[in-house]
Amino acid sequence: MSTPLVALASAVALVLAALGGLSTALRRRTGLAHLVAAGALQAVLLVQLVLVVVAMAGGQRPPETATFLAYLVSVVLVPVAGVLWARSEPTRWAGTVLAVAGLVVAVMVWRLLQLWEATGG
Amino acid sequence: MADRLGAPAAEPGDASTARGPGRVLVAVYGTFALAAGARAAVQLATQFDEAPVAYLLSAFSAVVYLVATVGLARGGRGGRRTAVVACLVELVGVLVVGTLSLADRAAFPDATVWSVYGQGYGFIPLALPVLGLLWLRHLGEVEREEADQKSPPPPKSPKSPPPKSPPASAPGSPPAPSS
Repeated sequence: MSTPLVALASAVALVLAALGGLSTALRRRTGLAHLVAAGALQAVLLVQLVLVVVAMAGGQRPPETATFLAYLVSVVLVPVAGVLWARSEPTRWAGTVLAVAGLVVAVMVWRLLQLWEATGG
Repeated sequence: MADRLGAPAAEPGDASTARGPGRVLVAVYGTFALAAGARAAVQLATQFDEAPVAYLLSAFSAVVYLVATVGLARGGRGGRRTAVVACLVELVGVLVVGTLSLADRAAFPDATVWSVYGQGYGFIPLALPVLGLLWLRHLGEVEREEADQKSPPPPKSPKSPPPKSPPASAPGSPPAPSS
């Protein structure tokens, strides 16, 4: 796992959260902008997933492997769940649901990096 | 620009726990149920002997979050009552565990969700039950208003007294937060 990729993921996640908050503030549902941001976030997370799987296949193991894997898999599901749920919400709170998903991802990727970097210690 | 941000939103029409702001609460509660549950599962499975009290507390908090999530998501009178109880248990839990973890650090060698009032989780565990209870109280008020507006005639007792005036119009009561 690399810090720049985690920084990129959390930056995109925060953009998604901001867009979600904006549409709630403007009393709107979610639209194309949210889909694009969520798609970009998903792409970054999938790239990260592949890189981590390759590194683990190469023999690298974080000490708390079970926790790490749980985070690794669930963080990929969060944007999908957020988008699906936001799309089915007719009120302006759809954006806030998406914002929560974005914030959760932003926290989770840094926790992932923390778990991963405990390898050396 | 505006359309890309989505079509204009509908106004939440009914007193459902799983619509509008309630859906945000369900999302956050669901996240915490999953996070606390997964954490407790890993801790109990791999290192139960190190801090059994803390890990059992993690598991307990996960159950409370799960009950609150289900109660909020299901809605209705029963779901709301379940959610109120879960929120109260959660509030007491975070306050008691938070205080104990500060007073007697030795008893909590490893962190739980509720340690130091949920500091490890951005104090969200402290805010969540308060928000939940406020939202549930608001829903109860909305439902009472709707019941008063409709004022359906009682089906089997046509000579019952007329419905009382809506309680929300009582002077001095704070206005309900707009949703």
